[in-house]
Amino acid sequence: MKGPTPMTHFFKYSWSLCLALSLGACSNIERSRDLSNPRVAGATLAQQVCSTCHGATGNSISPQFPNLAGQQEAYLVNQLQNFKGHQRMDPPGPEYMWGLSRRLTNAQIEDIAHYFANQVHVARTDQTPMSKTEQEYQIGLNIYTQGIPEKSIPACQLCHGPHAKGLATFPRLAGQHKDYLVRQLHVFQETEFRPNTPMTQITHQLDAQQMSDIAIYLSRMP
Amino acid sequence: MNMSLPLESKSSAQSSHNLTSGWLLSITSTLLVLTPSSSQAVPAFARQTGQNCIACHAGGQFPELTPYGRLFKLTGYTIGERTLPLSVMASGGLTSVSKIAAVNQSLVNNTSTGLDLPLKNKQTSLDIASLFIAGKVTDNIGLFSQITHDRYSEVDDQGLNNQGHTTGDNFDLRWADQWLLSGREFIYGVSLNNNPSVSDPWNTSWAWMQYVPSSSGPGANAYLDANTPYASSGLPGDLYSGLSTYLFWNKSYYGEIGFYRSASRLLHFMNFGNDPNASILQGNSNRYWRFAYNHEWGSNNLMVGTSGMAAHPYDSANGVSSSDALSYQGVKNVGVDTQYQYLLDPHTFTVQAVVQKQNFTPSVWDATLNGNTPSTTRVSRVKFSYVHAARNGVSFANFNQNGGFASATQGNTLEVFHLPVQNIRIGLQMTFYSKLANIDSPSNANSARLYFWGAY
Repeated sequence: MKGPTPMTHFFKYSWSLCLALSLGACSNIERSRDLSNPRVAGATLAQQVCSTCHGATGNSISPQFPNLAGQQEAYLVNQLQNFKGHQRMDPPGPEYMWGLSRRLTNAQIEDIAHYFANQVHVARTDQTPMSKTEQEYQIGLNIYTQGIPEKSIPACQLCHGPHAKGLATFPRLAGQHKDYLVRQLHVFQETEFRPNTPMTQITHQLDAQQMSDIAIYLSRMP
Repeated sequence: MNMSLPLESKSSAQSSHNLTSGWLLSITSTLLVLTPSSSQAVPAFARQTGQNCIACHAGGQFPELTPYGRLFKLTGYTIGERTLPLSVMASGGLTSVSKIAAVNQSLVNNTSTGLDLPLKNKQTSLDIASLFIAGKVTDNIGLFSQITHDRYSEVDDQGLNNQGHTTGDNFDLRWADQWLLSGREFIYGVSLNNNPSVSDPWNTSWAWMQYVPSSSGPGANAYLDANTPYASSGLPGDLYSGLSTYLFWNKSYYGEIGFYRSASRLLHFMNFGNDPNASILQGNSNRYWRFAYNHEWGSNNLMVGTSGMAAHPYDSANGVSSSDALSYQGVKNVGVDTQYQYLLDPHTFTVQAVVQKQNFTPSVWDATLNGNTPSTTRVSRVKFSYVHAARNGVSFANFNQNGGFASATQGNTLEVFHLPVQNIRIGLQMTFYSKLANIDSPSNANSARLYFWGAY
């Protein structure tokens, strides 16, 4: 029988080293994914945990998960607190965020919010060509800037700003995923899963096409 | 489950170390009965992260992983907080083979051995139960391990009654770390595991492509999809001990290299309950490798990869000494696989395809005594699945194996399933054969299985 090869030795030693380092220092604070350790910085959790869905720079790939880059810090704090307290009950809450936020301290929440608020939003390159959504984009633009007076729907920009960058607890919407925006508009309109927001009243008379038009416009904003 | 093992190797699990107690099954059954129908009733990893099963499993269909589930695995199961690292799983159902008497007669005519008894045809039974010990250990170390009790894995000496058997199943203890380099993620890890590819995060890998666990035998269960050809390590035994190291660069490039040896001495537990003689590898340099390219865009993700194994298992079945250099075989396999997922609520759509070529070289003893010659087996499988709202799903698979010692096997599997809650699944799986070894009319072996699966 052959003896151990150099490669075998390499693996044996690398494993032993990893084991010794990890057991010797069970807490790797700088790159920890421990959601119950208050000593782990929020920025670390943002990079090690939140990044798996929202991207390390807050620019998520899948429209299942919202972009957080450049989001309003106060809004992020507010949402994380709402997830933690189960006040926000739309599906991403029980499916993903309630558990992840359950042990976060206020300091960690503020740190995570600060981290993503200071990331730079990157425009997506995989959107439907403008030529195919020109009409919807224009309707969305009109609703965003002027509202729908005959339905008493105010212009979105009154709260979210002319460039949809948001303000304090009013979220940034520019460059958000279209599918995510549409889903949230339906949540506001059809459920009580996100209570204590004027959006329940504002979305009351929007139809599905108008929601889609607004989302197309916003998803294309820089 | 040892899902990746080829048909011929499944039987080797029916070996010594027989633990006849059904304690595991009993505990599992009791827990399942007591489980409230709540979305919070989830296994150990879900308790660790506080998340729903669908966060990690695509459309809630175990064991297929979402992109997040893959990262959870690659970062060493360390996201979340330490909780009670125990979970249980059970599966059972009713199997019906189209014309089992004709199948048995074909086997008697062609091999002089009929189906194992009892046939278990059209009988409801609780077949399999697993205990998982899984969870975060430190900031860098996590464990996924599974012990399985198969209630029907063996037949007693009289050939009339089944005996249960408890064995080690999957074991994956890993150390992992993740760095952020210029805004790009870099994951590196080391896995101590007992089954080549059990460490793999994609579900076209050998260990993870089979979705519905079922007993390895006897009788009617032999014709379920679980026992149709799947790509595999090609090794004749069950479980080994191996060390692999991997890296995943920016969610794009994945590479893993591992070395395997017999699970002996301190690592003997990794082959717990299985036949030690059937799981002896020559030396320490039995190699496993895996490379994959992953691309994610919008709601889509695509992986194209390749993997392979080069190993020297001893043919202890001939009773020759395992220290005899003339008695080890050569197994070399190489495969190409791809997986596409579309994940956007409420839709989960997956396409998987695997093509594998296995080269087998008999030992000198085997060639001399039995006249066996080198052979090549080709296995391919394609599967489509769709799940709506993590509640209702359908899948279709085509499998094909030819070459080697066994005659060609070919067929399709159609399945529909329902998840009333996230940790219970009820399904109907139908397997149709167009070619089957030693069966004169393959369609006689067409099987249907109404099953349930639950985990807590």
